[in-house]
Amino acid sequence: MSAILGWLVCGLALLILLIAALGVFRLPDALSRQHAATKAATLSLTLFALGTGLLAWDWAWTWRLLVLVMILFAALPLASHALGRAAADASDRELGDDQ
Amino acid sequence: MTLLFMLFIVAAGLVTVPGLHRLLVGPTLADRVIGLDLLFAVAIVLSLTAALLSQRTVFLDVAIGLAVVGFVATLAWARLIQLRAGGGSE
Repeated sequence: MSAILGWLVCGLALLILLIAALGVFRLPDALSRQHAATKAATLSLTLFALGTGLLAWDWAWTWRLLVLVMILFAALPLASHALGRAAADASDRELGDDQ
Repeated sequence: MTLLFMLFIVAAGLVTVPGLHRLLVGPTLADRVIGLDLLFAVAIVLSLTAALLSQRTVFLDVAIGLAVVGFVATLAWARLIQLRAGGGSE
């Protein structure tokens, strides 16, 4: 039962990662591309860790996956914020140069 | 079951194509870092898949290391881009 659920969750995670990749490929500017990459990839990685935990069903796996998800939840918003601010500053600079 | 793992690996490989595209031709520096971020996400997914395939927890530690290294790399690149843009005071 938990194995089937694990496969489904892993498949859903990969589907979301593919949608994130599509967003990174298609969206028009850097900030919207980053919005696609960060939020969807965070959800996808969390779901894939959940699916891995369901498939393995073992405490040695569970606590490592919990550490991974906690690191991701702490790190990805911070990195995304820093990169978004840098991208906004850079695009401001370009606009200023054009005028 | 092995077929499903192959499907996972192929899907992750498909995601590397837009990531590499952004990394190589992305018009701004931030786009290249976004491509690198996506490639790190693919690397974490692949190492979790490797852990499932080999039934070893070592690859989970690899995934944790990749998450930390990706975080530090993105912060460093963001800092560099901001310094280049002239908004370095923070």
